[in-house]
Amino acid sequence: MSEFEPAVGKPASPAFGRRTGKEIKLHTGSFEEGRWSYIFGDGTDYASAMPDLAAIEQAARDARTGELPDVVQGPVINAPVWTWEIPLYFWFGGIAAGSSFVALACDLAGDEESAAVARKVALAALLPSPPLLIMDLGRPERFYNMLRIFKPRSPMSMGAWALTAFGNLAAAAVGADLLGRRREARALGAANAIVGGYLGSYTGVLLASTAVPVWARSRLFLGPIFVSTAAATGAAATRLALVATGLPVGHPTRRALGTVETAAMSAELILSVINERRLGELASGLEQGRSGRQFKAAKWAVRLGLGLRFARKPLGPRIHHLASVLYLCAGLLFRYAWVGAGRESASHDRVVAKMARDRGPGT
Amino acid sequence: MTEIAVDRDAERMGFFTDTTVCIGCKACEVACKQWNDLPSDGGTFRKGGSYDSTGSLSGNTWRHVRFVELADAGGGVREEEVPDLVATAAANGLGGDPISVEAAVAAFDNWVFMSDVCKHCTNAGCLDACPTGALIRTEFETVVLQPDVCNGCGYCVPACPFGVVDRAPEDGRAGKCTLCYDRLEDGMEPACAKACPTDSIQFGPYDELVEVAKRRVATLHARGVEGAYLYGAADAPERQLAGGLGAFFLLTEKPERFGLPANADSPIQENVVPATVAAIGAGLLAAAGVAAAFLWEKTR
Repeated sequence: MSEFEPAVGKPASPAFGRRTGKEIKLHTGSFEEGRWSYIFGDGTDYASAMPDLAAIEQAARDARTGELPDVVQGPVINAPVWTWEIPLYFWFGGIAAGSSFVALACDLAGDEESAAVARKVALAALLPSPPLLIMDLGRPERFYNMLRIFKPRSPMSMGAWALTAFGNLAAAAVGADLLGRRREARALGAANAIVGGYLGSYTGVLLASTAVPVWARSRLFLGPIFVSTAAATGAAATRLALVATGLPVGHPTRRALGTVETAAMSAELILSVINERRLGELASGLEQGRSGRQFKAAKWAVRLGLGLRFARKPLGPRIHHLASVLYLCAGLLFRYAWVGAGRESASHDRVVAKMARDRGPGT
Repeated sequence: MTEIAVDRDAERMGFFTDTTVCIGCKACEVACKQWNDLPSDGGTFRKGGSYDSTGSLSGNTWRHVRFVELADAGGGVREEEVPDLVATAAANGLGGDPISVEAAVAAFDNWVFMSDVCKHCTNAGCLDACPTGALIRTEFETVVLQPDVCNGCGYCVPACPFGVVDRAPEDGRAGKCTLCYDRLEDGMEPACAKACPTDSIQFGPYDELVEVAKRRVATLHARGVEGAYLYGAADAPERQLAGGLGAFFLLTEKPERFGLPANADSPIQENVVPATVAAIGAGLLAAAGVAAAFLWEKTR
């Protein structure tokens, strides 16, 4: 059964019939000649038997339940058409969302200067996002149609609005910083962190709300995984930016960012591994082909980064920067792996058919 | 110049595609391309391991006659492996003169055709996904994509559990069957149903078609075709495919042989609420976690 009813879209008003225009040659105004069939009339024995409803229902039930037949003649679903721009946008959007969390946390901890840097990182990471999304559209010149309607049901629509809100808030917050209006900047930054909570996670919902097995069956994991990536890459980017602006070693903000990126990346790794295990055969998209290699590389990048982080004592604080760079790379690889896995998964006809058969009707 | 005043009571219109009378002529594909002015996708022999040269529905192919070779164990035969048909026929006693019509007719059972099309679902995944409002439900309760609104975001493509809608690469917009909305407005039946020489594609008011389809299944059952069943209509409410299909099918093989899923619903209606709850929960937790880490480091 559907999670909620009714479906979007009600029958349009049938008022079109009062339209004025030229009469066309073939206009008939009714379906008389087109109705049902011109060959099989009531006099033929095409459909002459009285239906036994229970037998008809049972026939459909028999065909649609039981074991998956040996032959699946695909394609069953169409593969997503998104290209390299989308995972790159996921990465930038995640950094922007993660930096907005950091900005709020810096303000709460009383480190206003770091908060201002974090807000700049958020804005800088957000700036490439709209061009990337527009480039991926089939008709880029119509990108503004995204803001034609507000549709809570569609994660794509909500994402477009969240991106618009986040961009405006981020620009306003940085503007307030530049004008020296600390209070306004803090308030705008806090609002941005709330929008950022959605911006960093909706991409997971977007992928989960599809018929693609590896995405749909990860529906409770994709949001948390994507938010973890966002927090980790946002913290890593902000950390590197703060180091570049001369934040001293041992500063509480620097230490806290190190903790955040490590914790978030560990959470990401753990959630990914658990999800892959529980998916079993449906995880084929994450295990085979290019996306499989990217996923494996991403996991190793995280492990290496975590290792470096704990090798900080003997090797000195600079080695930690390498860990931050590794986290950013791992985040990017995870984004590419997840989007590519959808394309891969959709082309595995047997896996798609198996998901549909195993789940039973309405679950 | 005259006025058209069509005060038609709009009702749900649909397709009933009866695969038992389909001869695989592809007249529906051609009629669809011609009426809707759709370019070719390019024919490849044995695309998808079948003698069918179309392969699948796409942004430019809104009707697709699927060939199902039952004698094939699956996986298909590559073009270079296709046997010399004349030699094979001769070896099986079909060749020479005259050709054995009876043997040829008997071999028909090894081949099933199905004219696939957009299902015009009650719970339509594409309609739920569309962020621009390009996809609409019409007064005929069909699902139509408005090409003047679509910006080609591509979200409807993976949102369709039947692999119908796709983005046309050279056009940039998504495309799928409109159930000939423009023809329906003028009281004409869709081009494919009009062209079908065996009336395998039947068009009409949904309720009437379901009645015909049920009687057809009963007729086939009475004749001993026990595998005949309806795909997408006449199911118990909890077993419906995507809330019931506006374009439904009479099939004689398991749905997967036709590339159809055994169960389907709008992926958005199924997943968006639990996925959003998990995602926003994680988002709040992450923001709180970051703040907690900072406050903890400050007091340390």
